[in-house]
Amino acid sequence: MSDIFPKWTNKLPLLIVVGASLVGTAVTAGVWYYFTPKYTRVGYQPKQPVAFSHKIHADQLGLDCRYCHNGVEKSWYSNVPAASLCMNCHNQVLKDDPKLQVVRDSFNEGKPIPWVQVHKVPDYVYFNHSVHVNRGVSCVECHGQINHMDEVYHAKSLSMSFCLDCHRNPEKALRPLEHITDLDWKWSDDPKLNAEKQQAYGLEMVHKMNVQSSQSCSTCHR
Amino acid sequence: MKTIPPSQAEPKSGQQYWRSMDQLQDTPEFRQWLEREFPEGASEFVDPVSRRNFVKIMSASFLLAGVGLTGCRRPEEHILPFSKMPEDYTHGVSQYYASAYPTRGSAIPLVVRAHEGRPVKVEGNSQIPGNKGGTDQFAQASLLNLYDVDRAKGFTKDGAGVDRTVALDALSKLGADVTATKGAGLSFLLERSSSPSRNRLQKAIATKLPQAKWFVYEPVDFDIHRQAASTVFGKAVRPNFQLGAAKRILSLDCDFIGNEQDAYTHIHGFAKNRKTKTAHDDMNRLYTVEALYSLTGANADHRMRAAASAVLPIAAKIAVAILSQKTGFSSVVQALEPIAAQGKADETWITECAKDLVAGGNHSLILAGYQQPLEVHLIAHVLNAALGAVGTTVSYLPAVEPVKGTIQELATALNAGEVSTLVILGGNPVYNAPADLNWIAAQAKPSTVIRLGYSAKDESFVKKGWNLPLAHYLESWGDARTSDGTLVPVQPLIQPLFGAVTELEVLARIGGLSKINPYDIVRETFSTLEGGDENAWRKFLHDGYLAGSAAKAVAVAISAGNTADALKSAKVLPAPSQNALEVVFQRSYSLDDGRFANNGWMQETPNPITKVVWDNVVLVSPTTATALGVGKFDTAAKTPQAEQGKFYNQVVEVTVGSAKVKGPVWIIPGMADNVIGLELGYGRPDAGRIAQSQLVNDQIVPAGFNVYPARTTNNLHIATGAKLTGLSETYPVASTQEHGVMEGRSIIREANLDQYQKQPDFAKLMNLHPAPISPALKDKGVKEAPSMYPNPLDAWKDKAVHQWGMAIDLSACVGCTACVVACQSENNVPIVGKDQVRRGREMSWIRMDRYFAGDVLNPQIAFQPMLCQHCEAAPCESVCPVNATAHDEEGLNVMAYNRCVGTRYCSNNCPYKVRRFNYLDYNKRPLNDLVGPHYRTPLTATVEGEWAMSRWWKSPEKGWRSDEEWELLKLAKNPDVTVRMRGIMEKCSFCVQRIEGAKIAQKVKARDTDNVAVPDGTIKTACQQACPADAIVFGNIKDPHSEVSQWKAQDRDYSVLEFLLTKPRTTYLARIRNQNKAMPDYQEFPGTSKEWLDRENSFEAHGHEEHAGHEAAGQETKKGAH
Repeated sequence: MSDIFPKWTNKLPLLIVVGASLVGTAVTAGVWYYFTPKYTRVGYQPKQPVAFSHKIHADQLGLDCRYCHNGVEKSWYSNVPAASLCMNCHNQVLKDDPKLQVVRDSFNEGKPIPWVQVHKVPDYVYFNHSVHVNRGVSCVECHGQINHMDEVYHAKSLSMSFCLDCHRNPEKALRPLEHITDLDWKWSDDPKLNAEKQQAYGLEMVHKMNVQSSQSCSTCHR
Repeated sequence: MKTIPPSQAEPKSGQQYWRSMDQLQDTPEFRQWLEREFPEGASEFVDPVSRRNFVKIMSASFLLAGVGLTGCRRPEEHILPFSKMPEDYTHGVSQYYASAYPTRGSAIPLVVRAHEGRPVKVEGNSQIPGNKGGTDQFAQASLLNLYDVDRAKGFTKDGAGVDRTVALDALSKLGADVTATKGAGLSFLLERSSSPSRNRLQKAIATKLPQAKWFVYEPVDFDIHRQAASTVFGKAVRPNFQLGAAKRILSLDCDFIGNEQDAYTHIHGFAKNRKTKTAHDDMNRLYTVEALYSLTGANADHRMRAAASAVLPIAAKIAVAILSQKTGFSSVVQALEPIAAQGKADETWITECAKDLVAGGNHSLILAGYQQPLEVHLIAHVLNAALGAVGTTVSYLPAVEPVKGTIQELATALNAGEVSTLVILGGNPVYNAPADLNWIAAQAKPSTVIRLGYSAKDESFVKKGWNLPLAHYLESWGDARTSDGTLVPVQPLIQPLFGAVTELEVLARIGGLSKINPYDIVRETFSTLEGGDENAWRKFLHDGYLAGSAAKAVAVAISAGNTADALKSAKVLPAPSQNALEVVFQRSYSLDDGRFANNGWMQETPNPITKVVWDNVVLVSPTTATALGVGKFDTAAKTPQAEQGKFYNQVVEVTVGSAKVKGPVWIIPGMADNVIGLELGYGRPDAGRIAQSQLVNDQIVPAGFNVYPARTTNNLHIATGAKLTGLSETYPVASTQEHGVMEGRSIIREANLDQYQKQPDFAKLMNLHPAPISPALKDKGVKEAPSMYPNPLDAWKDKAVHQWGMAIDLSACVGCTACVVACQSENNVPIVGKDQVRRGREMSWIRMDRYFAGDVLNPQIAFQPMLCQHCEAAPCESVCPVNATAHDEEGLNVMAYNRCVGTRYCSNNCPYKVRRFNYLDYNKRPLNDLVGPHYRTPLTATVEGEWAMSRWWKSPEKGWRSDEEWELLKLAKNPDVTVRMRGIMEKCSFCVQRIEGAKIAQKVKARDTDNVAVPDGTIKTACQQACPADAIVFGNIKDPHSEVSQWKAQDRDYSVLEFLLTKPRTTYLARIRNQNKAMPDYQEFPGTSKEWLDRENSFEAHGHEEHAGHEAAGQETKKGAH
């Protein structure tokens, strides 16, 4: 009988069990990680029709975010500016630059510039910009350091747990309203001191502003 | 511990409180409905698809899903900003414009919400003095007409499409031609309108084309009110009723709450005097004489059922009783006496009613219905004048002389060949003109026919001639006057979707006027009325009305002699008998005269009395049905018409003169005997895809049956000598009436005014026994049984800024269903079709429950809007396996659609039966799939020559709808509310999108302060906003000063099924009836409370305690009994 099954086959069941569990774990872990927004979204950096640099405009030139995204304090939506707004400056500055041809065409012909959407929450999430920026949550909390990006990429996961992290501990994100669009602003360059000051200020403001960052379904899903 | 529900023994006197004839008879069909617990298909698999096929299809779906997994990555989406930014526009912020919904001779002022350029919701304009912002159901539903997939999408000539410019040039050329002949041979057929601009154009054209002739036709015409008033007072006046000032009201077959013009203002005034804050407040009292059971009858304190033909003698009797006490009316009394002698009625009813009206003095009001002959109107006006009511409850406003020509005259002229050019502006005469005119032939006679119509190819479509698409009012510039004469703008929110034109433009072009742009026309009218000031014009558009433009009442003096002369010619129609029945044609509560036939929201809004959807029915009283041997009271034939809880009603044939109409019979208690009620507006063969959505004998046919063939010039509203014969066929009828029966608990609580005054907290006395407390808890000193369901909300309640709640005043609610349509519009509630409703799958989040109570021959009706009660201890939440329904901190019971897996446990556990399940992908199916009962699957179906599944794959949002449907219907959706898919449970959310919107707006205002509490009155739910009666109030119950808190603090406040300890956030204020003790039909107790009283209860507190003592051992005090 021993001729039919060599001796090593005695270990086969064990190997199968161990192997299957390893493969199973690997697959589960793989799916678990690679299907999360952290993997699928963070780093998403599509090519835009115009090589617009936030770094130049917001950081070097010091334009406020709200010069272009002027609906952000009023609407749920932070608008992408119309070509006419670009032309406020670019009818003087770089007015013949070929890189701006698309913008000039849009302004002259009435065709919209097809910007590619980078940040997007699912359709069943009713995120509102105005309530965040008016209540001390800076752009940087969700969008990252856009002012240092030449081309915009998805910096944070914007997953449900990402939202909830902040809604559970709003004191970590609240800052004085005058620094909302100052994406480099910090309490201190010393990380430890910064964290301490943020915590103290945040807790004070949560109380002062009666912040009840809701964690129930109706906050975002309607 | 299991809570045992209190026992509910049948009352000794038999059931007094029922929802349908079946329940009253306790038929096996009804028991089946009741005992089934779930509607068909919910607990078993009855669809024709077998389990095996189902598995096959499912595996195919999974395969497809697997193949497509690669497509799960986000698709690249574009943001397309403006090229040039428009002024005053912020993307994502809705815009609101004042406009008005024009009705026949009036208008409903509106504020319309536009989102990204598309109108998405209409609401009443509350800024206008005297207008609280309510609307009727039609104004709410008119939005969907804008996105009607079957509306005219282009110009046609002789049936072939032509260019817009070609058509408009042809119009102008016609204008030049007729100018040359001074309009000889030119005839216009108009609809009624209150627009000053149209009136001005018409006059200008009449001057320019003196030979042109003008005619007007409305199948349901309210002009008789003006005619009667002008006759009585000898000058051109029209009445304007102030129900708010009326304390004693007599309706002579006048459905002023439902089918009359400007019902929404009447309801507001009427309901104002029904709400009692304390037991000592004054209430109005409504007497009604009517044939059918109307909404007004449902709200009456005393209701006399009488054939429509008997209303005139009854009115005469009441008038004689009143006028003989007044001086100066002897000639009128003389004229009335012979009329009065021709009718029979309960004399005590009449004398006591007359006495009460006289006692009411100048706060009395008598109204006559539009369907009644002129004499009844004359009597009403004389009585109002005699009682001194002119100036308080009714005022007379100067009337614009209307177009005089009638459709009969026009038909004669057409047949005589006198008309060479016929211009039909609006209307649908081929469908709804009197049958004796043979309009379809008459319309074809002139050499040139031009028709301005809304539908693509409806009944009046002109085969030889021009068809012009009519613009929706939200696409048109126009103006109108409301009931009190206030000038309101009709302002467009969107360019005409299909290049449609307005009535004003067509008139101006044909008249060859210099200004043809509707905006210029309306602007010019405004200038002539108010001067050319641009600021005044802008303010007019902004506010939605012209301040001070309400008409000034005219002093009127009654001419008794003239009235007596006019009354002398009165002819009393013969009283109906079994062999010569009387037919009453009723304007439909859902479809009006047929103009809403292709509107899915209205088709699926239940008739407030019959609760039938998608159909009209032949209404008869139980006695008549028994006598004629038709319908369910025909016990001899023993033919059950409901099978498995579904209605298969006997079809009957109604013969009126030479015309015959066929429809299913429906027995309504409380109708006058020997009267047949026929609802207009149904059975339109060419209205469109929604109207054509019934499957009968494998044929797709229109919803309902057409009753216009039975309507002739001489019997437009009331026909006599009709016959009714039962046929052997049956017809399936969908009714929401028996869904969700609550088994006779004191769901609706009512008392007469005197009981209320004696025992102001009677509503709380009617609480059933609270759940027993276990001895262990009792030893610990617990007084109230803890809820069955753990309540996480208790932990948050004190911390949160708001706690939302709603109160509904049943005294004020008249059951008009404006709230139902408003909710459908606001919350993207889909329509499901008749077949699905028959399976108990209707989707409306708020339903209007209607209960009959008392005497079967003349029962009382009570309405109750039923919506999610937002229980604090919600039974639905504890059974959800995936936590898809849960509470938020502010007391809302919320649904997370994305979590829902469709177990439907929540719905099964909901004691109020207010949860709705999406059985099919209602938003993704083509409209012609509404028909049922076998539903196509996209796996095998093709749409526009393409495999439906592949269409769905390409555009998951669109599903497998055709492009034209999708492109239009998606525009009507509210962007703030998720459009739900198949397999999802949904229900009233208290308009959470409005709550969140208001909270966000307040936080934006608050910035870094703590001023985050939303001020009271900021949030109005859609139903509350639409309610013309102000019967619904919503707000923060944490704030004791909020309106909702104050309502809830009233004595009348109670919770439905309070003994389940679900602690609903929606509470009701008990209804008070103001009965007159002297009346012969006085009932000591309202019908609905009788059953409760029969269980040895009483409105006196002590009797109640005794009862509580012998019930439930160990229970010492009764909640609310002190």
